[in-house]
Amino acid sequence: MQLFLGGACAGKRSIVRQRFASPRWHSAYAGCRLEAWPSVGVSPCCLVLEGWEHWLWAALTDEPDNERLRRRMIGELDALRDWELKHGGEVILILLEMGRGIVPLAPEARRLRDLNGWLAQDAAARCRRAWYVWNGLVKSLTH
Amino acid sequence: MIAFISGGARSGKSAHAEALACRWQARRGGKRYYLATAQASDGEMQQRIARHRDDRGEGWTTLEAPIDLLAALTRAESGATLLLDCLTLWASQWLYAGPNSEQAGLDMIEGLLAEARRRDIALVIVSNDINEGMPPENDEVWRYLAFLQRIHRLVAREADTVIQVAAGLPQVWKGRP
Repeated sequence: MQLFLGGACAGKRSIVRQRFASPRWHSAYAGCRLEAWPSVGVSPCCLVLEGWEHWLWAALTDEPDNERLRRRMIGELDALRDWELKHGGEVILILLEMGRGIVPLAPEARRLRDLNGWLAQDAAARCRRAWYVWNGLVKSLTH
Repeated sequence: MIAFISGGARSGKSAHAEALACRWQARRGGKRYYLATAQASDGEMQQRIARHRDDRGEGWTTLEAPIDLLAALTRAESGATLLLDCLTLWASQWLYAGPNSEQAGLDMIEGLLAEARRRDIALVIVSNDINEGMPPENDEVWRYLAFLQRIHRLVAREADTVIQVAAGLPQVWKGRP
């Protein structure tokens, strides 16, 4: 499993397209629900998941407890890693960096920002490589 | 030679860009230009411009270019060194000063880089990273952010040297500082 982290319009998707041949995309921007990712099948492939901030936003309206929600997301990450090990594919996580601006006024936006930051940490801890994308360039965050 | 230097507000990027432009000029000879995109639209902006001018010190010839960067570049002679500060402001002026399209803006930047290379003008370009906070809720802010990021990706791809400045410290992404 590999993580690509970067700000909005930093070029994350294009870097992933350059590096991985024919990946299958499971994208919140295309209306995919997070829980639906197992439907991509079992054949070995590269599976890209993007739009986590949308999945978090949808989840935090139903789940008022941050810790429980964080654990739920960790459960998804672990399931993705298990899928990868079992089927010999490669999971690519694309995450939006959103923690470097001013603290949002709206409580729900603050929750989203916190949960997204924790998700990035939890994802990086489970990935064999983590990458930071900045203005179309990419740098390893792991050594 | 083209350098792209970006970072957060007050990260020290202008000071690094100025120092780099001075080193390049010392090595290459020729005049050193400051291509200012800022306009003194109010008192605070006047103070900001004056502070930047004082920080820069002597030896700079200032060219003002709120919109037409290419026209300003033609006023510098071949072999000169030119510091453009900054793209963030230019991008907003480009989008909102008139009916300018994003593609025409990208063409302007592409033309600027090509012209600088053709005339052997060393170009140091400064910008701000504004895309690592909460995604904007307003469509117009999204449009601006997406436009600026397209410019950043273009300049970072074409530049020989790319530096991200954090807390006054340069992180080199490409080339030599």
